[in-house]
Amino acid sequence: MVDRARVVLSGFAVRSAHGSGQDALLAGAFGGTPAFAPVTRFDTARRRTDTAATMPGAPRLADELVGAVVDACADASLGREHRAGTPLLLAAHADHDNTATALEVAARTGLPDPPRTYTAACVAATSAVADAAAMIAGGRVDRAVVAAGFLVDGDTFAVFDAGRALAADGHVRPFSAGRQGMLLGDAVAAVVLESADSARARRVSAKAALLGWGRTGDAYHVCKPRPDGEGLARAVHTALRRADVPAAEVGYVNANGTGTPQSDSAEAAALRQVFGADLDRIPVSSTKSVHGHALEASGLLELIVTVLALRTGRLPVNAGFLAADEDCRLNLVLDGDRRLRRDRALTVNAAFGGANTALLVGAP
Amino acid sequence: MNAPTRDLAVLARAEWPTAPDEALPTVAGFVTSNFSPLVAEVAERCLRAHYGETPARAGERVGVVLASVRGDVTTASTLAEAVRSGSRVPPLLFFQSNPNAVVGHVTARWGLGGPVVCTSPTGDALADGLAVAALLIEEGDATQVLVVAAELADEDTHDRAEAVLVGPPPEESLAGKEFR
Repeated sequence: MVDRARVVLSGFAVRSAHGSGQDALLAGAFGGTPAFAPVTRFDTARRRTDTAATMPGAPRLADELVGAVVDACADASLGREHRAGTPLLLAAHADHDNTATALEVAARTGLPDPPRTYTAACVAATSAVADAAAMIAGGRVDRAVVAAGFLVDGDTFAVFDAGRALAADGHVRPFSAGRQGMLLGDAVAAVVLESADSARARRVSAKAALLGWGRTGDAYHVCKPRPDGEGLARAVHTALRRADVPAAEVGYVNANGTGTPQSDSAEAAALRQVFGADLDRIPVSSTKSVHGHALEASGLLELIVTVLALRTGRLPVNAGFLAADEDCRLNLVLDGDRRLRRDRALTVNAAFGGANTALLVGAP
Repeated sequence: MNAPTRDLAVLARAEWPTAPDEALPTVAGFVTSNFSPLVAEVAERCLRAHYGETPARAGERVGVVLASVRGDVTTASTLAEAVRSGSRVPPLLFFQSNPNAVVGHVTARWGLGGPVVCTSPTGDALADGLAVAALLIEEGDATQVLVVAAELADEDTHDRAEAVLVGPPPEESLAGKEFR
């Protein structure tokens, strides 16, 4: 592992129910204001809840992805001359239309046709980020664009309702006593990742460094996480070792925190395995409590939230909290006054099939 | 980017079907669609060919890549029809509506704790899955990767799947590449 390139994030764009752009996300998500409201995009009369965090109207996924990619490239000052040789990696729900969507996004943004769309549920976007980072770190490419999108639709809402995964009380309460489950949320996001040398040569200021990444499988169950969190803990250890950063140096954890009873306690166990007693002082929050669960796009939205925490020093709030749960002993960010005191932050995600990812970001 | 960046050692291969009238075994908990049983069966054949019996040795760092251009179109259309008609949505569709679920079945059965990656390739699914696997192995995220390419029948084809278990080239040392 010699001559590894340092991977930086040189541009990003984000759209969610909080609005478009980082200012909207900072005002809404960081302030702890949930964006949940009754869904008007489709009929919810037969469902146990009518609530999600959606953008106005009925946006089309390919259009939103194109907008996010164009905005992220502009943020990274990545002109048309650089886009032609920049791979595009997409993440979206597994769908028979994925190829058509991928080719349309590439054609409209001037990026090469993507080799694939990542579809591994709640770790789809972070898997794409990890592959992009691996390609850059290993010198295979100078840069890559990763884009991910999920727009709440009637079929997904219905099947999550049928699986009793949605919070009937209309609130997402990660790691809290009385949590009832998740709520879905729109998100479309894009990031430009590149080698530090490439960004420097283009005279672009990096927004953050992607210091480490890790991914593992629980080898445990079709849909339940391993209760002791061992698989997720291995993913975090991998990210830390790859970055050569001690666990105690992590200043904030953006948790997966779906608000689901079993998943949250397994995640808390995983974090305790990694951080030990240090976990008592490391701030943790799940911003799914405000922007909802964006499934295949969630990891990219939460990576951007984590980068914004690093850049602003503000910590996003874990909303919906009612009371402590003994199975989730975490130092939760419960109000908007908390500040980030170190320059490294972690974002973790976990999915059906026991898939886990961890991304460690730092100051550029 | 669709081709592996270097040679991989092929440790085992399997396909389904191997005979015209072959029946696909069911998998408990998966309903309506052949997609998950197809993936489970071809994965089982491939892993059994290499490992013999479960669990996999040193499975902690064996990854799985499931590549399917069209994905589980049967589950998707069943769900869409239930919603359109206003009938009850079968709860079991919840977890099988994403491809991770059957991968979780395979990894739990064989003790595979490496990365789980699911994709919709825009080109040849097996070739792209092998490219993803090569990156995982070269970057030290996995010592072996099970690549499954699976497609449900359309108007011109029948259900079909192929699985390949790959590892690094025999001469290549993994020393210094392990991120555990």
